[in-house]
Amino acid sequence: MEDASMARIARAEQQPVATGTTLVVMVGLGVAFLLFMAFLNVVKSGNLLNESNLLYAALIFYSGAGTLYLGFGITGTPSYIRFASLATWAGLIANTGAVAHRWYEAGHPPFASIYEMLLSFVWTLAVLTLIAEKKFKVKVIGTVTMPIAIVGVVLMQLLRTEVHPLVPALQSTWLHVHVTLAMLAYAACALSFALAMMFLIQDKMKTETFLAATSLFSIGTYLGVLTRFEKWGGLSVIAWNPEEKSEVFLAKGVRLFVVIPDLGWLMVMVLAAVAAPLVLYLAWRKTGKEKLIDIANRAVFVSILLQVLALVFFLLRARDGRYGSLDADGLFSTSLAASPFILSGLVGGVFVSLLYLLLLWRREDLERMLPSAEELDRITYKTIAIAFPLLTLMIAAGAYWANRTWGSYWSWDPKETWAAITWLVYAGYLHMRVTRGWRGRRAAYFAILGFAVVMFTFFGVTYLLPGLHAYA
Amino acid sequence: MTANSYSAVQKTVRKIWQTIGAIKTGVILLILVVVISAAGTVILQRPATDPDEMQRAYSPQLLRLLDGVGLTDVFHAWWFVLLLSLVSLSIIAASIQRFPNSWRYYARPYKSPDESFRNALPNHALIPIKDEEAALSIAERVFHKAGFRPERIVRENNFSLFGERNRFSEMSVYIVHASLLLIFLGGIVDALYGWRGFVTLTRGQQSSQVENQNGSKRNLPFAVRCDGAGQENYADGSPKRWWSDLAIVENGQAIVRKQIVVNDPLVYQGIRFYQASYGKTGKLDKLVLTATRRDGQALGDMSIGLGETRPLDPDTTVRLAEFIPDYVVRDGQIYARSSALENPAAHLIVESTKSGRSVDVWLPPIPGLEQNESSPYIFEGKDLQMAYFTGLEVSHEPGQWSVWAGVLVMGLGLTAVFYFVHVRVWAVPVRNAAGQLTLWIGGAANKNKDVFEQRFRKLVEEIESELKVSSKAGAQAPVASLAGK
Repeated sequence: MEDASMARIARAEQQPVATGTTLVVMVGLGVAFLLFMAFLNVVKSGNLLNESNLLYAALIFYSGAGTLYLGFGITGTPSYIRFASLATWAGLIANTGAVAHRWYEAGHPPFASIYEMLLSFVWTLAVLTLIAEKKFKVKVIGTVTMPIAIVGVVLMQLLRTEVHPLVPALQSTWLHVHVTLAMLAYAACALSFALAMMFLIQDKMKTETFLAATSLFSIGTYLGVLTRFEKWGGLSVIAWNPEEKSEVFLAKGVRLFVVIPDLGWLMVMVLAAVAAPLVLYLAWRKTGKEKLIDIANRAVFVSILLQVLALVFFLLRARDGRYGSLDADGLFSTSLAASPFILSGLVGGVFVSLLYLLLLWRREDLERMLPSAEELDRITYKTIAIAFPLLTLMIAAGAYWANRTWGSYWSWDPKETWAAITWLVYAGYLHMRVTRGWRGRRAAYFAILGFAVVMFTFFGVTYLLPGLHAYA
Repeated sequence: MTANSYSAVQKTVRKIWQTIGAIKTGVILLILVVVISAAGTVILQRPATDPDEMQRAYSPQLLRLLDGVGLTDVFHAWWFVLLLSLVSLSIIAASIQRFPNSWRYYARPYKSPDESFRNALPNHALIPIKDEEAALSIAERVFHKAGFRPERIVRENNFSLFGERNRFSEMSVYIVHASLLLIFLGGIVDALYGWRGFVTLTRGQQSSQVENQNGSKRNLPFAVRCDGAGQENYADGSPKRWWSDLAIVENGQAIVRKQIVVNDPLVYQGIRFYQASYGKTGKLDKLVLTATRRDGQALGDMSIGLGETRPLDPDTTVRLAEFIPDYVVRDGQIYARSSALENPAAHLIVESTKSGRSVDVWLPPIPGLEQNESSPYIFEGKDLQMAYFTGLEVSHEPGQWSVWAGVLVMGLGLTAVFYFVHVRVWAVPVRNAAGQLTLWIGGAANKNKDVFEQRFRKLVEEIESELKVSSKAGAQAPVASLAGK
C-alpha cells in the first residue's frame, strides 16, 4: 500500500512540463477551431447584435472558462479559477442575451425545439454553476459543468436555428411550465452529478479507478456509435435536405441514411485506442505492476489525440458532402445537424478524457480547492432534494398538458417512460439515503447513475427511440 | 393440534406480510419496473407500430416469441399490471408497518429529556447559572424569538422547557406514499372503466356513436354535432390552429355549444372531445356556378350541393346529380380514379317541368356524355367547396381526478418532506458532577443537520450573553430593578 502511494507520488513528479504545454496547445487549437466555426455564422448573418453572435460570445466565454479551469489543472495557479468564474459570468450575460433575443423573436419562451431547449438548459446550468460556486464554495465545479455547457453551445451552432411557429399542440401555457421545470430539474441533476464526481475525488477514490471509468465511458460512446451507425466500414448518417433544412424521409417516419465511407474504420481504431487503458488497468489489477498504469496513462493521452482526429474527420466529412445511400439512388447531402448524437458523443468523449488528465496531474491541487468529502456529500443530497420535487412537478405538468391535448395523461410513450425511470432512480437514491443511511460512495454512484439516465432521457430518447416527443 | 397449525399459518402470513413490506422487496420490485419499462421503450410496441413495420423489424420466430410473452405490448400485459399492483401492495405494507412507530413519535413528543438522552444528544451545551427561574425565562424568551413557542414542562420539583417546529414533517413521507397510491388508484380505475374512441364528423353531421380502438362501436347517451370546422395557417403555410364548433344534442336539442381547439377540449358528462385531426373528405360540400341563358341574360352565382335542385326559371330546374373528384374516361364510360381532388367533374341535369325533357350537362364538357349544346342555359363552374371532416378523439377517464388529487398531495408532501425540518429544542436546569447549577440546552433536527448545528450554536450564544447581562444587572443594582418594576 505504502509502496503504491509512493510510486504514485513518484509518477506525479515525473510528469514532464512539456506534456502540459502540449495540452495547452491542443486545447487552444480546439478552441480556435470552435471559434472559427462560430465565426462562419457571424460572417453569414452579417449583423452584429443578433442571437447567433450572442451565442458566439457565450461560446467564447464558456470555452475561456473551460480552458481556464483546465489551465488551473495544468499549472495549479489558483488565480485561474477566479478568471474562470469571471468568464462564466460573461458567458452567462451573453447567453441571457441570446435567450432574450430568441424569446422576443419567437414570441414564446425558448422551449419549442431541441435547439431552444439546449439554449435554456445551458443558461440554467451556468446559473447553477455560479450559485454552487458562490453559495456552496465549490470553486472548481465549473471543471465539470463548463464542458457540458460548451458541448451544448457547440451543438446549438450546428442545429437549425430558424424560429418555427408553434404547431397547435405546443400552444399551451402548460408546455412552458413543463419545460421550465424540466430544464431546472435537469440542470440540478447535472450539478449533483458534478458534485458526486468531486465527492469521489475527495473521498480518495483511486486515480486508477477514474482511469478505468474514463476508458469505460469512451468505450461505451464509441461502441454505441459503431453498433448504431457503422455500415460496411463507413458511418451511416441521416441525409439532410439543405433547402428545407430537415432530415430526408423515405416514408413517414423512415429516415434516409447515407454512408460516409471509411469513417467506420477510423472509429474502430479509436475504439481500440480508448479500450487500451482499460485493458492495461485490468492487467495492472492482476499483476500489480506499476509500469502498466504508466503506460495506460500514456495510452489515454494517445487516445485523446485519436479522438480529436476522429472528431475533426467527422466534422469535415459530415459537415457538407454528398454521399450515396443503400436505400435510394443518387447522392445526398449530409449535415452535422442531422447527427447530433454522434457529435455530442465524440465531443463528450474528448472532454471526459481531458478531465481525467486534469485529475491525473493536479489531483492534490484539486483536493485542496474542494470542500471536504462530507460537505460535498451533503450538497449532493441537497441538490437532489431540489431536483426530485422539480422532476415530480415536471412529470405532473407534462401529464396535465398531454391530458388536455391528446386526451390521456399517461400513454407510455418512450419519453414519458424514461422520465418515470429517472424519477424512480432518484426516488431510490432518496430511500436508500433516508431509510438505509446510504452515505458517501454508494450515494455518489447513485447520483452519477441518475444523471446518466437523465442524459439518456434528454438526448438518447429523442434520437434513438421513436415517440410522441418528436419536436423535443 | 389445530391451534398449532393455525399459529403456523399465522406465522407464514406474518412472514409474507413482513417480506412484502421490506425495503429490499420494494427495491427489487422497483428495479424490475425500471428494467421492464426500459425494455418497453426499446422493443417496438403494438398498437402504436403498424404490423408491417413489426414484421420488417423482427424475424417471425422472434416476433412470435415477443408476442407470446407480451413484450410487444408491455405496458398493458397482465404481468406488468400485476407488477404495479405488487409495488402498490409493497408501499401499503411498508407504510402500515412503519406507521405505528412514527405515529407514536409524532403523537407523543419527547418533551422531558432524561440524563442518558442529554448526554447522547449531539447538539447540546451546558451554561453555568445562578438562578433557575431567571435562566429559564431568558431561554424561554430566546426560544420564542427564534419561533419555537416553548412550553414549560413540569419535572419532579422544577420546570424545564420544550419547543419545536414543523412536527408534521415527520409524517409527510406517509402523505407522499398515500399520494402515490391515489395516482395508482386513478390509473387502475381508468384501466378498468376508462375508454378511448374516435369519431369523424363533417359540417352539419351528428353522431352518437364512437369507434373504439379495436374497431367496435360504442353508443353515447347523447349525440355530438359539428357546426363547423376549420384550419388557420401561419404565413409560411404551417398549421397554426384547428378548430371545431361542437354542440351536444340531447332529445333533439343542443344543450352545450363550444368551439374546441387542440389544447382545449369539450367536456360533457365526463366524456371529453378533443380536436385530433382535420382534413378533406374528398366529397363536395357546395359547387358554386353561374348560369347564363342562351339569350345572354345572366342569373348570377348560385351554390348547389350534391343531389340538390335549384330553379332557373319558372319552367326549368337544375340538379347536381354527380360529382367525381378525380375522373377518367374509358370506353365512353366515366370512372373515379381516386378520391383526391385532382381532376374534378360535375354532372348537372337541366329539366324542363313543362315538357319533362332533361339534358345532361357536364362540367367540364366530356365528349360522348355531355349534351351541353342543347341546354337552354350555359353553366360555368366558379368554385368548389369541398367538405372537411374534423376528427375527434373521445375519451372517458373517470380515474383522472384521483390522479390529479394524488399529484397535488404529492407536491405538498414532497415540500413537507424536503423543505420543512422538524426542529426540537430543550432547556433543562441541572446540577453537574461538581454540584454546580447549570442550564442544559439541547437541540435536534431531522434533516439539514449542518445548518441546524450553526443555528443551535447561535441560540446558545444568545442565551449565554443575555444571562451575562442579566447577572451583571442583578449583581449591581437589585434595588434599581425593584424600583424599575
